[in-house]
Amino acid sequence: MPKVSSKLAAAVKCSEEFNADACMHCGTCTAVCPMGYEILPRKLFRYVQVGLEDKVKENISSIYSCLLCGMCSENCPAEVNIPENIRFLRKYINENEFNLS
Amino acid sequence: MPLPTKDILGILADNLNQRKSVLPMSEAKTTRWAKGLDLPMGGKTIIYTGHMYQLIPVIDAMAGQMSKLEDTPITKMMGLGRFANKFVNMTFFMGLLASKTEQADYDRMLRNIALLLKKAGVDFGYLYGEEMYSGALVYDEGIDGSFAKHAQRVCDLFKKHGVTKVITVDPHTTHTLRTAYPQFVDGFDVEVKSYLEVLAESGLEPTQQLDEALTLHDSCLYARQEGVVDQPRELLGKAGVKMNEPDLCRKNTHCCGGPLESLFPAESHRIAGNRIDQLKEAGENITTMCPICLVGLRKAAKGTVQVNDISDTLAKAYGV
Amino acid sequence: MAQKRRIGVYVCYCGGNISDYVNVEEVAEAVRNDPNVIVSKTHMFTCSDAAQQEIIDEIQAEKLDGLVIASCSPKLHMFTFRGMSKRADLNQYQYVHVNLREQCSWVHTNDKTGATKKGISMVRAGIAKCVLTVPLNAIRIETKPRVLVVGAGVSGMRAAISLADMGLAVFLIEREAEVGGWALQTGKMGPEAQEGTDVVAKLLARINQHENIMLHTQAEVIGKSGNIGDFNVSVRLPGDESLSLNVGAIVVTTGFEPYTPEPDEFGWNAPGVIPLKDFRQMLAETDGSLVYNGKPVRDVAFIYCVGSRQSKSESCTEPNTYCSRYCCMATTYTATLLHDLEKKTGQPVNQYHLYRDVRTYGALEPLYEKARTGGAIFLRWDPSDPPKVSTEAGQLTVKAKDHLLDGEELEIGADLVVLATGMRPRENATLNDVLKIPESKDGFYNEIHLKLRPVETMIDGVFIAGTAQGPKTLAESVASALAAVAKTGGLLMKGYVDLEPLIAKVDPDKCIWCGECLKACPYGAIEKINVGEKEIAFVIESMCKGAGPCVPVCPHDAIEIEGFRDDQIVAMIDASIKELEEK
Ligand SMILES: Cc1cc2nc3c(=O)[nH]c(=O)nc-3n(C[C@H](O)[C@H](O)[C@H](O)COP(=O)(O)OP(=O)(O)OC[C@H]3O[C@@H](n4cnc5c(N)ncnc54)[C@H](O)[C@@H]3O)c2cc1C
Ligand code: SF4
Ligand code: SF4
Ligand code: SF4
Ligand code: SF4
Repeated sequence: MPKVSSKLAAAVKCSEEFNADACMHCGTCTAVCPMGYEILPRKLFRYVQVGLEDKVKENISSIYSCLLCGMCSENCPAEVNIPENIRFLRKYINENEFNLS
Repeated sequence: MPLPTKDILGILADNLNQRKSVLPMSEAKTTRWAKGLDLPMGGKTIIYTGHMYQLIPVIDAMAGQMSKLEDTPITKMMGLGRFANKFVNMTFFMGLLASKTEQADYDRMLRNIALLLKKAGVDFGYLYGEEMYSGALVYDEGIDGSFAKHAQRVCDLFKKHGVTKVITVDPHTTHTLRTAYPQFVDGFDVEVKSYLEVLAESGLEPTQQLDEALTLHDSCLYARQEGVVDQPRELLGKAGVKMNEPDLCRKNTHCCGGPLESLFPAESHRIAGNRIDQLKEAGENITTMCPICLVGLRKAAKGTVQVNDISDTLAKAYGV
Repeated sequence: MAQKRRIGVYVCYCGGNISDYVNVEEVAEAVRNDPNVIVSKTHMFTCSDAAQQEIIDEIQAEKLDGLVIASCSPKLHMFTFRGMSKRADLNQYQYVHVNLREQCSWVHTNDKTGATKKGISMVRAGIAKCVLTVPLNAIRIETKPRVLVVGAGVSGMRAAISLADMGLAVFLIEREAEVGGWALQTGKMGPEAQEGTDVVAKLLARINQHENIMLHTQAEVIGKSGNIGDFNVSVRLPGDESLSLNVGAIVVTTGFEPYTPEPDEFGWNAPGVIPLKDFRQMLAETDGSLVYNGKPVRDVAFIYCVGSRQSKSESCTEPNTYCSRYCCMATTYTATLLHDLEKKTGQPVNQYHLYRDVRTYGALEPLYEKARTGGAIFLRWDPSDPPKVSTEAGQLTVKAKDHLLDGEELEIGADLVVLATGMRPRENATLNDVLKIPESKDGFYNEIHLKLRPVETMIDGVFIAGTAQGPKTLAESVASALAAVAKTGGLLMKGYVDLEPLIAKVDPDKCIWCGECLKACPYGAIEKINVGEKEIAFVIESMCKGAGPCVPVCPHDAIEIEGFRDDQIVAMIDASIKELEEK
């Protein structure tokens, strides 16, 4: 069973950059995303918000597959800045998984 | 096995840190386009290419190689590649594979842009060999430490030359300089404008009416992040060009897939294929305003439809 | 047969509602020759001003002494025609209403002949009843300008102050040593930040200053007699002292009891599983980061709807089916308090809110918005699959499914599990015995009508307010307290009340005091009195509702309800079968 990790949840909370809290999980973003991946971006954000670090790691390639094209945020009724959040996740993985900064 | 994200990102970051570009190129290659244009060195207002047009033929050649690697066991060796790259600029060799005609093609586009600006009466210089890549890709991949250092370098360069206004030629450099830099460099106050904005504001009049129809592909960054939507339409419209708009256009434009080229070439090509189908449905003569869109869509079109940069059409209409 | 009467009969068309199925002309015609009937007429709309005026004129011209109106339901227009009778100087209890619409035309749309026949029978019965009416007068009672308020929570305190401001003398009785009720233990309260203790302190200061309020703590109501406008109440004070009070009305604001979970319900009794009240107090008492049992608190899971909105099951045989109203607001507000603390200390606290539905209705919605956008994670749970709380290797763990991840099961390691426990009715055996306020099926005190008479009870002169009547937020408790103040003021400031005279009457000759009626009366309106040597039943006029359960149980037919006397009922039956008998 996926475990909630305090570390990821706290990192997300402390970051000015990640802000998907306004998300109401309507799924519009996923519907309009050119990639057509089930996880991108709504479900991925939920993993992040809930703090499911393992799930986030399992989906690293999806995180780097985002085009940062902004189709999602353009159509997001809650005005979530999705590409900026994806960038934050990449940064988090670069720093915590890839030792890159 | 897909390309190893970690190692590729490592190579990009190492290159930017050590060689000031994700894909370092020789000065000859980056400045060749300006030959004979008599652009002054430096100045308050400059044109800033960010090497994007110049890089395309190199990336194109490299991506060809990389997509051959995707799904082969050689990808396992990429870590070794990154290790080697620290000492030898591996990507440099890939650059050698770039096609000469392609290079000439992209150089022409840059020259057209510079000439259009001149015609519009804009007084601007160029940094020649001192110009650097903007760091766009490293920013996109979230390698923020390397990006921040690089942005500072570019900012220092502007300061050194007393630059207060930068005219960009592609959406990625525009977005990186205009939107990302201020978040990473304290007190970054250089004005950044895309050449399309500058031309539209200048009131430049066409020298001939083109009896053409073309199909416009908006760049995601221009349309959604930087508010460059009406300017290209205005410039083309004034010259009598009829525009076919695909269903997904303007702020709802569909990505060309280009941003995935370096990590997931196959996915990148899938998206480009989808987009070219949408564009073909709207009409012929597809016109882009970003070198990444241009190369990606051109490849996806596989010769079934023409794909050109907007600068070529503008050059024709405005007599340069 | 009794002496001859002069009765007017008016049959209504109701613009077709009646006349489409009942031949109203035939009905009027059929009774016209009744020996007691002087006038028998029809009207298109009897309730119209013109028709009423015509009837008034006829009552006076013909010196009518009885009136039968055959029209719609008395629920709609009984008071209209009582008013009309009054204006015509006819005693309003000598007017009889026949419900020809709801009880005849509307239910017999398929049988016009039958409907007309039944209409005739009904009107005949009405006339028969009317013949036997006697003039009656309302029972007028003088009210005492004093009020007893039971329970000094915020509701009771607020009510006491406003009643006293009206110039009424107020006795405020609190069972505990301290006033304030639960507000003393809820820390900072939402939606706008106010310490519950401050709210109470401010109210108490006003109470202490008010010359019209007498506050007694550690006091309890132990007896009551008398009736609306004039109650005698005995109160037990500390040290076996007692107090007798004479008041015109009683306001009951005895509040609620928080739900206590069953052992093991959401991990109850495990260390680290606490009610919201305790968590609020932790927040109120800390000035730095939260610490529980010496450990810093980093992850908190809140479980909503604990003890509310239950359904019947094997493990829950007496479910609390209602929503406790305050807990969504109080918990989302707590989330915002935690956000504030995070900002103050720089120490993040992850919040997981396991809710069923977020009911931050009305102006409370921004609290939810604030909690959510501030970073609290909301996870919805389904009653068929509630979150499971367990302790594994010393680690408190909550397992729940996330609907937003297609039902993926999550495991949340929590330092604290906070249960948003609902409201339960208070145990109040002594008081309930004394006041006999009816309870709803949920066990809270019951109002007469949830929408239209929300603070009145079946016991005239006894009002309820605040959470004693059902779950409420503080603001709602105060609103209902002030509603009770308005009703109490309306009653006592006039100085008297008029009560319906249609109540029970004992025939002292027939009554032998067997006590059956006393047992049957739900309002405590029967007393035993001595008339000379004889013990008989006596009806306390002000308490009798005229409901009549005493009548059928009396073995000697000694008790009757005025307006529904046995002779009247018998006459009605006889009259309504007259036509049948003639055949
Ligand atoms: C944990 C928690 C958090 C809350 N947070 C909020 C919030 O943030 N915002 C909000 O608006 N509301 C909140 N509420 C609800 C709020 O506390 C109540 O609405 C309010 O306190 C109800 O007041 P009351 O006077 O009706 O009842 P109570 O507070 O229960 O007062 C009743 C009083 O009557 C006394 N009494 C009882 N029986 C007798 C008797 N027989 N004789 C004499 N005296 C008697 C009791 O001792 C008590 O003092 C919260 C409640 C809880 C439990
Ligand atoms: S920005 Fe990324 S997630 Fe959003 S639509 Fe584009 S590819 Fe999809
Ligand atoms: S479109 Fe916006 S609100 Fe809807 S799911 Fe995506 S991020 Fe959330
Ligand atoms: S009195 Fe009743 S039945 Fe007659 S018109 Fe009025 S509403 Fe209709
Ligand atoms: S207010 Fe919210 S938590 Fe309380 S019972 Fe109602 S739905 Fe449940």
